[in-house]
Amino acid sequence: MKRKLGVLLCLLLVIGFTLPLVAQGAQEAAPKVINLWSFTDEVPKMLEKYKELNPDFDYEIKTTIIATTDGAYQPALDQALVSGGADAPDIYCAESAFVLKYTQGDASDFAAPYKDLGIDVDAKLKEADIAQYTVDIGTNPAGELVGLGYQATGGAFIYRRSIAKDVWGTDDPSVIKTKVGPGWDKFWKAAAELRAKGYGILSGDGDLWHAIEGASEKGWIVDGKLYLDPDREAFLDMAKMMIDKGYSNDTRDWTDAWFADMKDAGEKPIFGFFGPAWLINYVMAGNSGGSAPGEGTYGDWAVCEPPVGFFWGGTWVLANDNSKHKDVIGDIIEWITLDSSKTGLQYFWANGTLFGPGGTKDTVASGTVMEMSDGTLDFLGGQNMFDVFVPAGQFATGRNKHQYDETINIYWRDQVREYTAGNKSRAQAIADFKQQVKDNLDIASY
Amino acid sequence: MRRKTISYAKYGYIFSIPFVLTFLIFSLYPLVYTSIIGFTDLRGLMKTDINFLEVPFENFKTVLTSPLFQKALFNTFFIWICNFIPQMVIALLLTAWFTNRRFKIRAQGMFKVLIYMPNIITQATIALLFYSLFGYPKGPINDIFLALGWIDAPLNFHLQKWTARGVVAFIQFWMWYGHTMIVLIAGVLGINPTLFEAAEIDGASAPQIFFRITLPRLKTIVLYTLVTSMIGGLQMYDIPKLFLWGGPDNATTTTSVYIYNQAFSGSYLYNRAAAASMVMFVIIAILSVFLFFILRDKDSVLQRKRERTMRKEAKARMREVAL
Repeated sequence: MKRKLGVLLCLLLVIGFTLPLVAQGAQEAAPKVINLWSFTDEVPKMLEKYKELNPDFDYEIKTTIIATTDGAYQPALDQALVSGGADAPDIYCAESAFVLKYTQGDASDFAAPYKDLGIDVDAKLKEADIAQYTVDIGTNPAGELVGLGYQATGGAFIYRRSIAKDVWGTDDPSVIKTKVGPGWDKFWKAAAELRAKGYGILSGDGDLWHAIEGASEKGWIVDGKLYLDPDREAFLDMAKMMIDKGYSNDTRDWTDAWFADMKDAGEKPIFGFFGPAWLINYVMAGNSGGSAPGEGTYGDWAVCEPPVGFFWGGTWVLANDNSKHKDVIGDIIEWITLDSSKTGLQYFWANGTLFGPGGTKDTVASGTVMEMSDGTLDFLGGQNMFDVFVPAGQFATGRNKHQYDETINIYWRDQVREYTAGNKSRAQAIADFKQQVKDNLDIASY
Repeated sequence: MRRKTISYAKYGYIFSIPFVLTFLIFSLYPLVYTSIIGFTDLRGLMKTDINFLEVPFENFKTVLTSPLFQKALFNTFFIWICNFIPQMVIALLLTAWFTNRRFKIRAQGMFKVLIYMPNIITQATIALLFYSLFGYPKGPINDIFLALGWIDAPLNFHLQKWTARGVVAFIQFWMWYGHTMIVLIAGVLGINPTLFEAAEIDGASAPQIFFRITLPRLKTIVLYTLVTSMIGGLQMYDIPKLFLWGGPDNATTTTSVYIYNQAFSGSYLYNRAAAASMVMFVIIAILSVFLFFILRDKDSVLQRKRERTMRKEAKARMREVAL
């Protein structure tokens, strides 16, 4: 009796294990699930709005969010893409620091061309007036568009009005932009004038780096070898000068001291920061020490054209070529990246109305949407930031990026810091940087 | 008719199936895989066509001759020794205090919990905490030093190689001395209390009891903590990786950080990472054997030898008698 029971149990177990396998084979009509991979909750939240706008959209959305800190997102996403199966990502996001790996580099085979998703790419691009650098980065080696962003991340110079008045007698962006640019020579002249009055022009070398990185002519890798662009090499000397002459507070970006400079709590007051619109909305506003004009540094800021054009950050949205729901994904991606109507994601995003009025305003990829939108901010003393940021996108270039940028930038900035702190000679810092890239990435240098 | 006996042996096998399965899939398979790909040309994200190298030990040679790997090896041992010696000393001292029956320390439970506490916090949290503590140009440590007048201008701790190594070693020490202490206390509680009583009656002092009775009896436990701490210490990854990403200038790049960088920082040099892992495996294995050898129970070895010779002699004598 007992024995029979045992056999029965075993049989049940075997059936239980094999049944799902059979079922999977039989059930070719894939379940209505869309897997979304992202490193912030931005895109997942957009899809909630998308569901709300499209009541007959009956897919379940499974979201996986892994932060990019410590480089954890990429290895996980790579594994998910390579493994495939029912849990493979259908839509995935990539940040500017590594998007090229997914659009043009090692993992570009996975990205589905937007055309295959049923999007009329050429007509839509023209209609939405998307900045060229976004398109350049999102185009695969075969010349097909595989990824686009929703944000525009062209950078500007964000400065303190009160300091500008003290030093130059005016806070008008059209005057200040002729003081800090164009070109680095004018910028350092302005730095000297600020220093004479006891101000620093930038918080630390990180601020300078983002502008220099984005403006340099060539990227880290040229024809498979490490290349040190003269502009990027000049960063060594500029960073050193900044410390020697006391032009900065010698902070590191994303540290407490860097945030402190935004609310004027550093060693000396800091004149400005380089950054795109997201830096204002998501970083500076929260660290200004206030939430209304007059509190902390809130309202004491303005934006003007930077000495060199650059862009910093941004999220690109890609679709998996192996996805079973291409049409549906196509609709979603088009809504996020190319829909320039008033019910498109970008209109909500630009005006901060995605979750009701009064939200955070941001610059978006579509120039058409930008023209319809109002970028007036209390934080900027009532200035319309879109006046500066929309042209900024035109100067930015996406041709100096490489898929290994995230890693190489860390090594480069470490060595620059060794040099500026006086621990190493200039030549030694460059040699060690090249060695570091060779040891960890197996890339030789020129 | 079948004889009805109840055998419980099969339950042992049944209950161990989950462990054996997980071990085979998640431990043994990756281990074997790693040991193989060290000899191949597997690199790059999408590579499916894997070949064995013509020079089988090429990856091992690259790794062993790489100055970065040698530096990583030095860092690993330096940080481990700097955290292990104070860890053992403090843990033994605390053990002696907590188990001394004359001291009768009050609120022992609370102290033990407090001392163990750092071990409960996630390593990521602690690494970030110390990163902020040693912040520059603003940070609590800099503020304190400035207020005490020890320094005139803030120091950039994040760029000082020895400070960085020291902080990593300290974090490791601070996180693990409580754990070691608990293990040692458990060991002491396992010693027969009559030994201590006898010693006390004979008039032994506290240090005498500790060095003559407690320590020799703790040998196996000490060996256990030594070996586990060595394996843990030589695989140190989280703290150095999260504290300063192996910096400044590779001063806190341990071998595990090196292996991670080889495999996941961009070029996906899986073969080199595997080779480096195998090198570490061999080093750890050799050191473990060495530790077991030093701390072997010399008395019982002697005893066994004596028994063997006695048995031989007895046999020889028996043969003589038989003849």
